[in-house]
Amino acid sequence: MKDLLSVLRDWEAVIGLEVHTELTTLNSKMFCSCPVEFGAAPNTHVCPVCLGLPGALPVPNKAAIESIVLAGLATNCDIEKQTMFYRKNYFYPDMSRNLQVTQGPVAFCMRGHLDVEVSGIAAKERQFYEGATLLDEQTGAYVAHINITRIHMEEDAGKLIHVGGTDGRISGASYSLVDYNRIGTPLIELVTEPDLRTPEEARLFLQKLRQTYLTLGISDCSMEEGSLRCDGNVSLRPRGVKEFGTKTELKNMNSFKNLHDGLAYEICRQAEVLESGGTVRQETRHWEPAEKRTFSMRVKETADDYRYFPDPDLAPFDLSDEFIQQVRARLPELPDAKKRRFIDAFGLAPDVAGSLAGDVAMAAFFDAAMSERPVLLAKPVANLLLNEVAAYLNASDVSLAEVRLTPLGLSELAGLLLEEYISSKQAKQVLTLMAESGEAPLQIIEKHGMKQVSDTGAIDALVAEILAANPDKVVEYQGGKTGLIGFFVGQVMQATKGQGNPKLINELLHKHLDG
Amino acid sequence: MRDLSSCSVAEIRAGIATGEFSAREVAQAAFDAIAQREPQVHAFLEQTPELAFQAADAVDAARAAGGVLGPLAGVPMAFKDNMNLQGTHTTCASRMLESYVSPYTATCVAKSLEAGALPLGKLNMDEFAFGSSTETSVFGPTHNPWDLTRVPGGSSGGSAAAVAAGMATVTLGSDTGGSIRQPASFCGVVGMKPSYGVVSRFGVVAFGSSLDQVGPLGKTVADVAATLDVIAGIDPRDCTSQNLSAGPDGKPAAFSQALEQDVAGMRIGVVPAFIKAKGVEPEVVAALDGALAKLEGLGAQLVEIELPHVAAAMAAYYVIGPCEAFSNLSCFDSIRYGYRHEGARDMGEQYERSRAHGFGMETARRIMLGSYLLSSGVYDAYYYPAQQVRTLIIQDYAQAFAQVDALVTLVSPRAAFRFGEISDPTAMHLSDMFTVSTNIAGNGALSLPVGLGADSGLPVGVQIIGPQFRDGEILRVAAALERCYDFNRLAPLARGGEW
Repeated sequence: MKDLLSVLRDWEAVIGLEVHTELTTLNSKMFCSCPVEFGAAPNTHVCPVCLGLPGALPVPNKAAIESIVLAGLATNCDIEKQTMFYRKNYFYPDMSRNLQVTQGPVAFCMRGHLDVEVSGIAAKERQFYEGATLLDEQTGAYVAHINITRIHMEEDAGKLIHVGGTDGRISGASYSLVDYNRIGTPLIELVTEPDLRTPEEARLFLQKLRQTYLTLGISDCSMEEGSLRCDGNVSLRPRGVKEFGTKTELKNMNSFKNLHDGLAYEICRQAEVLESGGTVRQETRHWEPAEKRTFSMRVKETADDYRYFPDPDLAPFDLSDEFIQQVRARLPELPDAKKRRFIDAFGLAPDVAGSLAGDVAMAAFFDAAMSERPVLLAKPVANLLLNEVAAYLNASDVSLAEVRLTPLGLSELAGLLLEEYISSKQAKQVLTLMAESGEAPLQIIEKHGMKQVSDTGAIDALVAEILAANPDKVVEYQGGKTGLIGFFVGQVMQATKGQGNPKLINELLHKHLDG
Repeated sequence: MRDLSSCSVAEIRAGIATGEFSAREVAQAAFDAIAQREPQVHAFLEQTPELAFQAADAVDAARAAGGVLGPLAGVPMAFKDNMNLQGTHTTCASRMLESYVSPYTATCVAKSLEAGALPLGKLNMDEFAFGSSTETSVFGPTHNPWDLTRVPGGSSGGSAAAVAAGMATVTLGSDTGGSIRQPASFCGVVGMKPSYGVVSRFGVVAFGSSLDQVGPLGKTVADVAATLDVIAGIDPRDCTSQNLSAGPDGKPAAFSQALEQDVAGMRIGVVPAFIKAKGVEPEVVAALDGALAKLEGLGAQLVEIELPHVAAAMAAYYVIGPCEAFSNLSCFDSIRYGYRHEGARDMGEQYERSRAHGFGMETARRIMLGSYLLSSGVYDAYYYPAQQVRTLIIQDYAQAFAQVDALVTLVSPRAAFRFGEISDPTAMHLSDMFTVSTNIAGNGALSLPVGLGADSGLPVGVQIIGPQFRDGEILRVAAALERCYDFNRLAPLARGGEW
């Protein structure tokens, strides 16, 4: 099979995404007051309404409507004031009423867009810029403008557990159990236009959407637990051709990497089929990360008839300007604006600002740490967060909220680093202790005797001592082997028990060696 | 002891309040009446004496303690079997739900019980409310207490017959196309379908969600109004329920207040097109003419009204109703509850067999009709135009009520028919020709008995239709007209006996 880059030289990939997001931060389900909670004992969060018992009626959750309007405003959608719920009728035991409440032709949110910035090697995958803006001719970095068709609201289904087969699959199972805890969980489904052209664009789009939803606080967006699920539709057409090719629908892409790799594989597979004179079948395919390939799940020969019609139990909506205004007033600062502010107000580099703005908790921590503190602390604070703190959280598998590190402590530490009171290596140790004990950095430094040695006289004496002990190396250095500076720094640092100021050591070494 | 069968809500409440009799005695009298008449009438699908006596004891205890008696304190009441009452069956007169016991209570039932009513049991109906004769009940038909060889009407046939037979003082029914008004007319009692949204539908098994409305049946307009006062009101669990005409104290104005006003100077609309409709019996038209003459005599002014699009109401009804019913009845699939046909090889076959055997013919007919009408390609040709017709009919009524305060017209083209007399489904559907348009438009309407037909000797009613959400106007006209008639609402078989 050809690689992606060469396939994309001859073929244009047309990709659209469908992103389902459970509104996990809500207190109750879409149409009843049962709690929304992952992992409870089966069928404990149920009532006559979500169980669809005879006579029960749905009542829409106002907070869920607010959430979808927030999502729409944050993705530049038009908010449709007059909209309604529809019923999608089909028989399957994961729906207690054998119908799903969803929306019809007019969703709460219509006609939005998100821009994603593509740079690095993946930028080369796109070689034409219709629907995109080239930022840098040299690197090929560009901004892709991705239109969003709609975001509509629907209720989630229950969960089927197939017993007796292999891998929990239905085929071969002897019976199936149903857990209705999840049924009725409010779900928003975002559908993009077929505007994406590379797997990287898809990955970045989903990443940005996730950051946006997390910033809004409408979902925990866990791809692992399935509260954020993404399907992709992909087809190929020869470069320069307008008509769409036959698309396949790709499922089971439950991480950013899987989304990227699944689409990349499918593009290459379709190219191989087409180049060998075959035709692509319209079908649903399953991405299998372990085997690094997609395989056919089902072929759609006839369209299912879901007998959609307006739900007569749910009155049509007529959202007031006042309601939309109230929701708009709740819009937090979104990742793009936040990145811009981090660059403008704190002088952070665009990539640093972008990484920080993309992580809701980190960004909030950064803002708290920088509150009423000098701007010159911004860079060390940001670097500590993105490097040392992130590494610590990753290694201990905890979240920022779970550690005892305080924003004030972090900015103090950054100040000490900036003043060269401690070395960056020491800062890392101090940070670990701060995270565990919650103590202030100065307290820790004192307790562990970690103050950086910046006494010029003392270090100068040590430098002279080390150089005297290694006359051959000094000769080699002066003969042009300047890389030996690292050896000397290491020796002096060792002599200070790691507490020497590396900058000062460097300076003094150069003074002695370079004359 | 006096004959409690003929007592009104107010008389029972007063009798208990003054200590003339206890609520327990009332409950006992009701079950004595049921024991005596139910074998002939078959209005009940389930009797709940335990619940009734419990409720009676609570009323008696409240009285003994000097507490306030609820507005329906000690009133023997029964509910159509599509209304949930926790711990009792909700069968909808279907094999599908024969063994279904509900874990919760419908709002209209709960409100009745909170008001002190004594729940006697659950009442027979057409299966899932599909029908106009109660003949489609899988548990056998209810007999009209006025003539046991005739139907009580439907689908709330049990609700009307129980009142006419003096087995319950008031009952609740549901009306999707005439299912309260037509049986009320056939059994000679008062039955009211309030405006859509006046009474919560929560806990009432849906037929056509946008058409269904719960309402009371009773011997008198006052009993019906008193019951409506109790069951009406906005319900947070039904987002189609309405918060109506809140008085200065924030509480909804009592419908029963309207009964004291007279009709002098009111403008009453007459719809000539209804009277001239095909298949209307002369005795029914004569009864209506008599009622209109009495209203005129009371000082009301008669105005001829045209409802140009109402002729299409029947067609729209037989699109919208089955479409909603098809979807509403999808939940009956034998998986979680309800009738299950054993021995299916797979889930699909279990669905098919359970539904094929669990539903009766008329139910199957409506499901299949709805399934067809909603299918892609067909939807645009039927469902959408039906909704457009609906808008036109709403406008017709709105225009009519710009000219008049109420309409007085026919309920049914004829008096109660004999069992099996109408076997053609389409002819049966025509029983609703004068009632469906108010379900389509959402207006309230009431059926008031005005005597016995000159030819049949059976009760005949007239229908009073009001402007949307102004259901007090309907009751005002009904009460005024009721005072002009001396008509015993108890069927002969219920008279004279001691309760």
